[in-house]
Amino acid sequence: MAAHFDTEYQRLEASYSDSPPGEENLLVHVPDGNKSPWHHIENLDLFFQRVYNLHQKNGFTCMLLGEVFELVQLLFVVGFTVFLANCVDYDILFANKFVNHTDSSKVTLPDAFLPVDVCSASIRDNVTVMFVLMISGVFWLHRLIKFIYNVCCYWEIRSFYTNALKMSMAELPYFTWQEVQARIVEIQKEHQICIHKKELTELDIYHRILRFKNYMVAMVNKSLLPVRFRPPLLGESVFYTRGLKYNFELILFWGPGSLFESEWSLKPQYKRGGNRLELADKLASRILWIGIANLLLCPVVLVWQILYAFFSYTEVIKREPGSLGARCWSLYGRCYLRHFNELDHELMSRLSKGYKASSRYMNCFLSSLLTVVAKNVAFFAGSLLAVLIALTIYDEDVLAVEHVLSSITLLGVCITVCRSFIPDKHLVYCPEQLLRLILAHIHYMPDHWQGNAHRYETRDQFSQLFQYKAVFILEELTSPLVTPFILIFSLRRKSLEIIDFFRNFTVEVVGVGDTCSFAQMDIRQHGHPAWMSEGKTEASIYQQAEDGKTELSLMHFAITNPQWQPPTETTHFISQLKERVQRETTGDRHTLTSLSEPRSLIANFLAGPPSLASLHLGRDGSLTNHGPVGVSDGASALRSLSVSSMRGSCSSTHRSAGHASSASRAMAGSSTDARTASSGSSVWEGQLTSLVLSEYASTEMSIHALYIHELHKQQSGGELSRHTWHRQDSDDSSDSVTEEGGSGGGNTNPRKPIPRSHTFPISTPISTPGPIPSSNSGPNPDRGTTPGQEVAPLQSNSQRHYGGNTDSVGPGGRVVRSERVPMGGWAEEGRGGRHPDTVPEEGSEDDMPPNIHKVT
Amino acid sequence: MNCRSEVLEVSVEGRQVDEAMLALLHTILLHRSTGKFHYKKEGTYSIGTVGTQDIDCDYIDFSFVRVSSDELDRVIRKAVGEFKDAMGNGTDGMGQISLEFYQKKKSRWPFSDECIPWEVWSIKVNVVNLANEQERQICREKVGEKLGEKVINIVEVINQHEYLPKMPTQSEVDNVFDTSLKDVQPYLYKITFQITDTLGTSKTTWFCAY
Repeated sequence: MAAHFDTEYQRLEASYSDSPPGEENLLVHVPDGNKSPWHHIENLDLFFQRVYNLHQKNGFTCMLLGEVFELVQLLFVVGFTVFLANCVDYDILFANKFVNHTDSSKVTLPDAFLPVDVCSASIRDNVTVMFVLMISGVFWLHRLIKFIYNVCCYWEIRSFYTNALKMSMAELPYFTWQEVQARIVEIQKEHQICIHKKELTELDIYHRILRFKNYMVAMVNKSLLPVRFRPPLLGESVFYTRGLKYNFELILFWGPGSLFESEWSLKPQYKRGGNRLELADKLASRILWIGIANLLLCPVVLVWQILYAFFSYTEVIKREPGSLGARCWSLYGRCYLRHFNELDHELMSRLSKGYKASSRYMNCFLSSLLTVVAKNVAFFAGSLLAVLIALTIYDEDVLAVEHVLSSITLLGVCITVCRSFIPDKHLVYCPEQLLRLILAHIHYMPDHWQGNAHRYETRDQFSQLFQYKAVFILEELTSPLVTPFILIFSLRRKSLEIIDFFRNFTVEVVGVGDTCSFAQMDIRQHGHPAWMSEGKTEASIYQQAEDGKTELSLMHFAITNPQWQPPTETTHFISQLKERVQRETTGDRHTLTSLSEPRSLIANFLAGPPSLASLHLGRDGSLTNHGPVGVSDGASALRSLSVSSMRGSCSSTHRSAGHASSASRAMAGSSTDARTASSGSSVWEGQLTSLVLSEYASTEMSIHALYIHELHKQQSGGELSRHTWHRQDSDDSSDSVTEEGGSGGGNTNPRKPIPRSHTFPISTPISTPGPIPSSNSGPNPDRGTTPGQEVAPLQSNSQRHYGGNTDSVGPGGRVVRSERVPMGGWAEEGRGGRHPDTVPEEGSEDDMPPNIHKVT
Repeated sequence: MNCRSEVLEVSVEGRQVDEAMLALLHTILLHRSTGKFHYKKEGTYSIGTVGTQDIDCDYIDFSFVRVSSDELDRVIRKAVGEFKDAMGNGTDGMGQISLEFYQKKKSRWPFSDECIPWEVWSIKVNVVNLANEQERQICREKVGEKLGEKVINIVEVINQHEYLPKMPTQSEVDNVFDTSLKDVQPYLYKITFQITDTLGTSKTTWFCAY
């Protein structure tokens, strides 16, 4: 009865070796040790970023040298400025004062320097100079410490390259990033860099390197960041400088008290909707403080910017004054045009390819008035200059006459500036085609540009992406003055939207951490029905990425990383799209009307990759003989060369060869040759192959981008549903209505709804009819007057739109939430109807943040 | 973060807190401990045995298995005791204990050694107040069942063959295992806890047990 079961198993104390006698040799283990120091790296974000940086900076030595020179440059700028201000006797230089030399009459440079003791005394007496020196000294020390720390870190990365990836620093510049990445994926299996998964995917690496950049791209895409302004005189303009960008990142990502608690995770309170208003208040006050700090630091930064600009640009301007008239991609443009998950070098190569076409496009718009003036000014200046130069050649004493040298220089500058206003004689005015050519490289543009390429509005808007270098420098210079005001007055008002954005668009991915959900490139979550994902997307308007960003990014990523295996739905989308492109380009010309138009364009692609010498023959033949069919064959042959279809479809090449004539057959043959040649060494292995293939990949992407845009244009049928270009601050209620209603540029049918909203069941979970805004109360034949379907501005009707929030208590006192409806989006229709089975929320679910879901 | 994290949630009565915590922490540690290593000359080693012990809970209908090491038990009890004290006396409250397994990585001179976690178990506790004895009886059984489920959860997670630090050589054994105990050798671990008061603000206390 009282049987006591003793369940304790004590460890054996008797035998020292803990093994039964005689079996010592059986229970012997061999430690595997941690021979590789690369397993289980703590901060993979930083690690991958450094690996990428080292690759981009072409190896350790280059990077080291670059950073050392940066430090030296800093010292030099400060030192030289102080020297110029305090230690030079300008009277001697300008010969206002005579030097009492006894032996010679020549003035030498050292004569103009003040003696060391005078000089140092004057520096010591000057309080402001001392202050500046102290500040820059502290700054420099900070940089020095950072530099030393970086050297230690990058030394490790260097040994990672040499030991783990087996790439020596000398040959690093000759590896493409895709190859480096493939090796990282390879060694993950062996070293377990990341412990969550047995295998890394390309997307994981991209996510980690580009975590914050993806957020920025998404925020620009959803017009969340205040970079667009309407100052009184200048019209609509974009102001986005490096200083502003730095401040945005400081506030959102890494500054003290930012939204992220570490590189990889958003602070948990920001994932919950419960106290979003308090969080927004907190963020607003933080922005205010940072704005004030900016205001206080403004003089220092301003002086620095001016000095830096002076020292880095004067020499260039003197050497080639035309560079001021040249253009460059603006910072905003780089953000607007960037795909999700696109690394810096990919973006830059894409934009650089589009540079020539873009500047030709901009040159189409040179004002003829200016041209006439410029021509004449250039003529007069030129004749003066010619005379002066001729005189100088005859007798160089002319140079000694006061101001002759400076007038020669000035006239030269004047002529170069004028020349940039005179269009090239051989320029052909074809803006529409040029714009398509640009589109093939930059992949994004607002809908209303198409067909309006010749208009000044389009040109002005394009110049926001592609600005004058001079404007760029000017904006950078004014940035310290403007930035604090943008922060304090513009960004602060957006704090609630920012909080909502980060809550709604952050997903936790296992093995990666919190990432921007747009960067998942999930058509279902963020697809836009007007951009090929009709029927596949379940996103509300708030969740859709604008301008087809999701779709294009997906295609771009799939094409640049052919080894990547997307989830099945996505694979389906990609293969479907590829098939359509293939069919249309090879197939009948009737459906091809859209694509046959930019014929020279595709021909241009063909001319693009220099390694395509064999294809040139075929191209010429086919172009002259067969017109569009030949071109499309060229395109398909090109595409069949690319890696993705190399694995699968031989048939496409055969098909195209079958239906075309001998010229295109020859082409198909050559493409097959190339294909077998490159597939002989396994894909992405040989360096040459991979370079050539990346060239094809970019061509392929161009074709896809054009196709998607074309299809989008057809689908929207000229009546463009909506575009982001004119989107105003979404807290401006009337504008947000217009934009929701989807008026195009024409405003002919401002209330035309997004087509999809008819087909979806509309239920009204919370049927409090909000106060209908005045602009909304006009006759509205297109849609029913279901209250919940009515578009209402955000502010006036917060209850309905923050479904799922605790403050959105419906009339019955029930809290109603639907899983997919993000809280605090734009004003939306009663989108709960997308999921008819809206469930009244139980209180127990409060622990789970509503919109954060795990993605495996 | 490059580490696995598992979250367990339990709802218990005030007096059950320490037993529930002990049960879960000990269960995890049971599976994350080995016998002492005895290194031999040729670079090989043998592993000592680990004793186990059944522990019956007083306030919960539940018993659990733990490593029969009084030293380890003392450390865990101390941590749980502090946690309970910090939670206050039996009123409603939320708290979280984290058991973090990490390994040390030797760094070069200017930097100190890094502690890199590879697995974090977070146990969230929700303390409820019960009105009468009958409810307590029900709670006693329910919490027992819940803890049983959690233990099975833990075992399932541990059974997946995920990343574990590799077995170290003699010189590195301190970087992976906690070798300070005489009779058992768990992976290096750290216990921290965090109390959320009624206002929703939370404060973190670091209780490090090596």
